[in-house]
Amino acid sequence: MKRYVARRLLWLIPTLLLVTFLVYVALRLGTDPVESYKRANARASKKKIQQYIELNGLYDGAFGYVRGYFKWLGGFLTGDWAPSIKGRTPVWPNLKDALANSLRLGVTASILGIFVGNLFGVLAALRPGRLRDTAVNTGALIGLAIPPFVSALLLQLLFSIYWQKWFGYSLFPTSGVYPPGHQGFDLPLMLKHMALPVVVVAIQTIASYSRYMRSSLLDVLNSDYLRTARSKGISERQVLLKHSLRNALIPVTTLIFLDIGAIVGGLIITEGLFEYPGMGRFFLVAYGNGDFPQLMPFMVIIVGSVVVFNLLADIVYARLDPRIKLV
Amino acid sequence: MRRTKGAKALAFAVGVALALSACGGSDSDSSTEDTTSEGGAATGETAMTITYDIVDEAVWEDGSPITVADFECTWQAALNTPGSLGTTGYDKISTVAAGESDKQVVVSFTDLYAPYKGLFGGLIKKAAVADCNDISADFQTSINYSGTEWKMESWSKDQVVYVPNESYWGPRKASGKLVMVPKVENGIAALKAGEVDFIYPQFYAGIADELADPNVKTVIEYGGDFEGIYMNQGVEGKDANGNVREFSDAAFREGFYKSIDLDALFQQIYIPIAPEGKLLACGPMIPGKYCPEGIFGNKYSLDDAAKALEDGGWEKDASGMWAKDGVVPEVQWVINTGNKRREDTQAYLIPLLKEAGFNVVPYNCDAACYFQQRLPGMDYDLAMYISTAPPDPAYLVPAFAGDQVPTEANENKGQNYQGWVNDKATEALKNSDKEVDDDKRTELIKEAIVEMDKDYMMIPLFQFPKSGAYRTDLVGDVEGQLNNYAAFNDTYMWKDLNGDGQVVIGAEQWPECLNPITECANSSWYVWTVGQVLAPGAYRTTNDGKYEVTELLKSEPKVETK
Repeated sequence: MKRYVARRLLWLIPTLLLVTFLVYVALRLGTDPVESYKRANARASKKKIQQYIELNGLYDGAFGYVRGYFKWLGGFLTGDWAPSIKGRTPVWPNLKDALANSLRLGVTASILGIFVGNLFGVLAALRPGRLRDTAVNTGALIGLAIPPFVSALLLQLLFSIYWQKWFGYSLFPTSGVYPPGHQGFDLPLMLKHMALPVVVVAIQTIASYSRYMRSSLLDVLNSDYLRTARSKGISERQVLLKHSLRNALIPVTTLIFLDIGAIVGGLIITEGLFEYPGMGRFFLVAYGNGDFPQLMPFMVIIVGSVVVFNLLADIVYARLDPRIKLV
Repeated sequence: MRRTKGAKALAFAVGVALALSACGGSDSDSSTEDTTSEGGAATGETAMTITYDIVDEAVWEDGSPITVADFECTWQAALNTPGSLGTTGYDKISTVAAGESDKQVVVSFTDLYAPYKGLFGGLIKKAAVADCNDISADFQTSINYSGTEWKMESWSKDQVVYVPNESYWGPRKASGKLVMVPKVENGIAALKAGEVDFIYPQFYAGIADELADPNVKTVIEYGGDFEGIYMNQGVEGKDANGNVREFSDAAFREGFYKSIDLDALFQQIYIPIAPEGKLLACGPMIPGKYCPEGIFGNKYSLDDAAKALEDGGWEKDASGMWAKDGVVPEVQWVINTGNKRREDTQAYLIPLLKEAGFNVVPYNCDAACYFQQRLPGMDYDLAMYISTAPPDPAYLVPAFAGDQVPTEANENKGQNYQGWVNDKATEALKNSDKEVDDDKRTELIKEAIVEMDKDYMMIPLFQFPKSGAYRTDLVGDVEGQLNNYAAFNDTYMWKDLNGDGQVVIGAEQWPECLNPITECANSSWYVWTVGQVLAPGAYRTTNDGKYEVTELLKSEPKVETK
């Protein structure tokens, strides 16, 4: 196992280099950073445009792409990042805040959603075809069928606008990370502002995971080895906790890690609906502007998180299933 | 209601010039009544001097005095900074020098400049910049100086927080905090939820119903705002890539204009907002004494349109689209996404224009992209926006004079984003700046607007209402300056009714950078959220459309002409 992990970690380096190079090429071809800079800075002098090209290594020609990539990579690794094309603001502070906001929102919603979803899935699988199963299935279908922009709107109307009208105060805010005027860290206030977006994300997660877990657990519960276990007189409780859940979690765990890896990329719809300054909004703005200095670090973080969480999924998968040997 | 683009500009300091200003001699209050000699174009090195006496106690936020050096720096920055939005007026200044002391500023002009009250509307603190002749790299994320009642505590993409400037010397004493937050998408929801105290929304059909709430009051007034559609003629008829801008063809403009039934459009878009409203027929100008009669308006006639186009060498191709040399031009129409009224206008007009033979396509992007990139970059064919015009027509000069088209040759200065060059109009506009006789000046302005009509360079639509909506349980005394060109500039007087220690304004647009000279400031919302809050100036506009001397000066500046 240790050798496997070490080898995978070593492979991460060429993988990341290759993928970031491809991203670099794709962004240069897809967004034309120099033209984007000119659009964003319509009155920039030729001298400033040339400075931007040099700073970001946006050289022409096939060799220019390679040279430019290593120029960018050198700056990225040494922390010498080019500023945003809009207002020359430094990239890292905004990216860091966006990442932190998305992780807070995404991880909280995922933990809540995965826990509750799996719990519902287990409850449904234990009584297939009965009222509880029907209720969980119906709830999951409704949850999946309601798009985030509908649930967000309903929650905002109920807990913000109508609550304000009925009781003279708003139970949960409609947007932001903190109330206007607030500065500094304040956990209760932050949680209050996260409440509605977390619920919107969690609704979808609960619905999905309840379906995954129900299906996975039903497969396990109907397997031959559990029939054997029962015939040996093992209690139903032990059958469930010791033998069934662990096996049912194997495919679900993979999904969990892949989902968490994807959270880093932001929750574009939810963040937009709640004007929540996370990675999704960061990307939309940066992409809209063709902001190469912002897009490259963003993409590196996305690529890195996907690669790392894939590795973690493999490792956990192996830990849960002794039949799998990682060599 | 309201506001979206800047009245052509308001770069604040420059804005100086434009924004708050544009002033000049329109009404009796803003004319050059202090002039000590007869008007008329002057020649020679110094045609006019203005002497400003700064009050002794006027200081910046750090206690350093506001002096002639700051006036000089403002002049240099507006005139020389690459990409300056407006140099008009400043380009007539030859020197800014100290008089009897560094608290007396003597500004010498090479030519008469009637709308001088628009100059020095937002001073730049000399000590805050390294080089007054190029401040384009300054103030990207913060403005660390103030000469007003507020000073900036912090600015980010999420909010700006102002606190009282303890060094402020004047009568506009502020208390508590002034907070502004971007509410681009859900301003009304935030207002109804009590998260913001005040918003200044643009009206569209149905907004009154959306705002209906027992704790929300909406105030509507008609001021200097007007909405229109502008046709970009490019720089010498070309875009940045050297391609022809079709609207540089006079026949194409005329045919396009006459293919739109403006009365029907008005019924569709504006009557639901203002049942008593009328189609604007003054060009880039609200009704009043500067508005010539019998111009613009609805000229809808497909036959006349066809004749104009055919006379200009256009013909319809097999698909019924107007083409020249076999090429059907694609007309890119930009608006800011999310602006429902403009999206409705596109949805209504584009199919009709297609039927009439014009291949019009949406070219939309968000407000920051629209007003800070595409408009100043002249990256569009058609643009629809509201101009927040000051009370005096001097704003027409930077926006429509032929030498104000931003090009590399003029270091991208100016705000003539339509690329409209008409020598007769330019001459009239330039002369209007030098004309101190109000009647003669009015005629010059009218002459220029008549040329605009003849050239079909824009499609005026509507004198747009200004509106403020606020929570009556959270904030009070907010209605005093809602109609002001520098809207809600009296926030120091607003009452915090719920006792949370702050007043919160939801902003429909948000500046992406804070430079007061460059395209960062090309939006009314820049002025409202940043410029007017921090920068002291010689004059400010009033709610009834006049100019008044600010507390910065001891008295009305002394104006002398040679």
